[in-house]
Amino acid sequence: MKKGLSILLIVTMLLVFSAVSMAETEVRIVGWGGTDQSIVEELINKFVVPELADKGITAVYEPIVDDFQKNLINSLSAGTAGDLFYMDIFWAEYIIKAGQVEPLDNYLAKSAVLSKDDIIPSLLDAFTFDGKVYGIPKDFNSLALVYNKDLFDVAGVSYPDEKDTWDDLENKFSKLVKHFGGEVTGLCLAPEFARFGAFAYAAGWEPFVDGKTNLMDPAFKEAFNWYTGLKEKGLGVMPADIGQGWGGGALTTEKVAAALEGAWVLGFLRDNAPNLKYGVTFLPKNPRTGQPGNFIYTVAWGINANSKNKDAAFKVMEALTSPAAQQWVLERGLAIPSRKALADNPYFEKDTPEAQANKIVFLGASAGNVKPFKFKEYGGQWMDPINVALSEVMSGQKTVDEALEIAQEQLDELMK
Amino acid sequence: MENRWSSLKEKTAPYVLLSPFLFGFIVFFSYAFIRSLYFSFTDYDLFSIPNWVGITNYINLFKEHLFTRALRNSLTFAIIVTTLQTIFALLLAVVMNQKIRGIKYFRTAYYMPSVTSSIVITLIFMWMFQRKGVINYLLTLLHQYGLTIGVFLALLAGIQFLLVFKEKLRGRQVEYLEPSYIILSIILASIITYVFKDFGIIKPIEAKAVDIFWLNTREKVPFWAGPFAFPRPLGAIMILNIWTTVPTFMILYLAGLQGIPKALYEAAEVDGAKGWQKFWYITVPQLKHITFLVVTLGLIGTLQMFDQVKIIGNQAPLESTITLAYYVYQSAFPGASAPKVGMASAAAIILAVLTLTVVLIQKVFSGEGRGLRD
Repeated sequence: MKKGLSILLIVTMLLVFSAVSMAETEVRIVGWGGTDQSIVEELINKFVVPELADKGITAVYEPIVDDFQKNLINSLSAGTAGDLFYMDIFWAEYIIKAGQVEPLDNYLAKSAVLSKDDIIPSLLDAFTFDGKVYGIPKDFNSLALVYNKDLFDVAGVSYPDEKDTWDDLENKFSKLVKHFGGEVTGLCLAPEFARFGAFAYAAGWEPFVDGKTNLMDPAFKEAFNWYTGLKEKGLGVMPADIGQGWGGGALTTEKVAAALEGAWVLGFLRDNAPNLKYGVTFLPKNPRTGQPGNFIYTVAWGINANSKNKDAAFKVMEALTSPAAQQWVLERGLAIPSRKALADNPYFEKDTPEAQANKIVFLGASAGNVKPFKFKEYGGQWMDPINVALSEVMSGQKTVDEALEIAQEQLDELMK
Repeated sequence: MENRWSSLKEKTAPYVLLSPFLFGFIVFFSYAFIRSLYFSFTDYDLFSIPNWVGITNYINLFKEHLFTRALRNSLTFAIIVTTLQTIFALLLAVVMNQKIRGIKYFRTAYYMPSVTSSIVITLIFMWMFQRKGVINYLLTLLHQYGLTIGVFLALLAGIQFLLVFKEKLRGRQVEYLEPSYIILSIILASIITYVFKDFGIIKPIEAKAVDIFWLNTREKVPFWAGPFAFPRPLGAIMILNIWTTVPTFMILYLAGLQGIPKALYEAAEVDGAKGWQKFWYITVPQLKHITFLVVTLGLIGTLQMFDQVKIIGNQAPLESTITLAYYVYQSAFPGASAPKVGMASAAAIILAVLTLTVVLIQKVFSGEGRGLRD
């Protein structure tokens, strides 16, 4: 009896020790909440676990539901941040310059499955500072013109297409608005640089010249006049004026014929307006430069410079950005992945509206004057004066010159 | 020996009982306050080691347009909102103190805005303040039917006066606001107004829909106030804030009203005091302590107003709604650039000193506090 007990004790201790010796490295991944949670958790189950389970690496996703960036900055400062985290192009520069993100060049040099050449260069450039790569873009988005096919059909106006210039598009809208006698308007004109900026870029405007921003540049004014002019001519409406917060919401009212949005609008339309027949095309070209403009919105994986598990985190990053993982993300229509090789993916040739929309967004990121959606270290404070100017002009409170003069003053103060 | 032990126990007991609160106070207030004070003299940005920069932050603050705007907004907001909410709370409390049927229902109903989450109310108000929202709609109606309403009110006053005057001629004691006559006057005035309207003698004015930008504007109101004008979006927040805080302070006043001895009113009536005299010479002075409390709490609350600005967010230009508390937040988390923790701390210290000063000034002027200490 005694012997039996001691054998049991030894066996138990052996089990405990073996468990300890096989101690796993847990990589904490931090990102947004909402749909991202289920997507990343599924990615972990499908691609990280099979790859890394026998190497003793596990991954756990910690979603931050609100104010992700503030949360990340606080936890980085306090030393409690995750090992692997989302970095939005919009604010990544600051935490990288503060030395909080691990440069990846040494890891990439040793890696067998991930190399710089695999990633679309413009995306990688956005996370490259002083020649070092700090983040591997996971996916990206750009703007496209999303239009309501039914409204164009009823009005007997041809759909907007990739050959359109600003003038062509304006003509189409004016025919459409005329047909509906003002019941329907043309474009949803959000008073935001995040939309309008694409037109300023199309006109050849550079946001920063020698560290300064010049709103008096003729190219900027040309775009500003055209965009706000659509409102004045009754060919567009601000979303707030039809009780909506953004272009996607405006499309569901069927009171606007088109909106400028990225692929993020697709899931929203699927859920909120399943019967809306929409088409997607490239943004119109500036008649003078012959180029469209666009933004690139992208989010990368970054590794915490103070993490204890940097090697394991890189392994997890490899698995999350592997061709198989990205293919899965693309085919589900969840996001547009960052690997170059996926450009030829058969998914883009599918005849569904969503696949076509994703293709336009994918190609839009390299057509014409495209710039990443970031404004040096100023971020939203840089856009604010322009947003207010857009809104004041389109609501008829100020003239273009008055509004731009105030905006210029505010930008000068911000950037002095 | 036994005696000393028990006296020691007695002396330490309060501190033992205080300790849980004291612990919270030291950790979450004292420590945080001293850290902020220290940071306000440094260029700390959350990641690099803080460097001592003396009072540079304080000087730079006053050079910054957004900070001076926030300071002005906060002061205007505090003065206007505290004044109005105190007056309304007092009046509402006096009304709610009447002995009428169903008063408990009204007390509960009027208290609802204060119990409801500030976020929910702000969201609802944001819809009401839209260009095509309820508030502009009601203003349009008022504009269109202003004449009709005016005629009705004039008739009401006229008929009431005639009725009472007739009684007075007969030598009967009648109050000008005699309820039974008011009901009669309302009925008569309604009928006459309706007839006028039916015969087309008065018509609704064909006015354009009122199109006031409540949120998305930098316009200042009132236009004649010159340097004292404030941005209209701030005015919208004032309306919202007054509406939500009045009921809380009404409760305080109600409690105060219950404590006023009935004998005072009875004595005044014997001396022939009228209703408003009783209010002005008995109710208001008797509620002085409560008023001190209400004004103090009001000033502290309004100077530190943050949530409503945050929720309105980019529905209104930042400079039109920014308050000191929001400026602190905005500097600590500026979005895409380095957190200016030094500047944010300096602004927070200024806000704390300002709050303390304003409350002290208020205390000196109201002559309160002395009475409380005695």
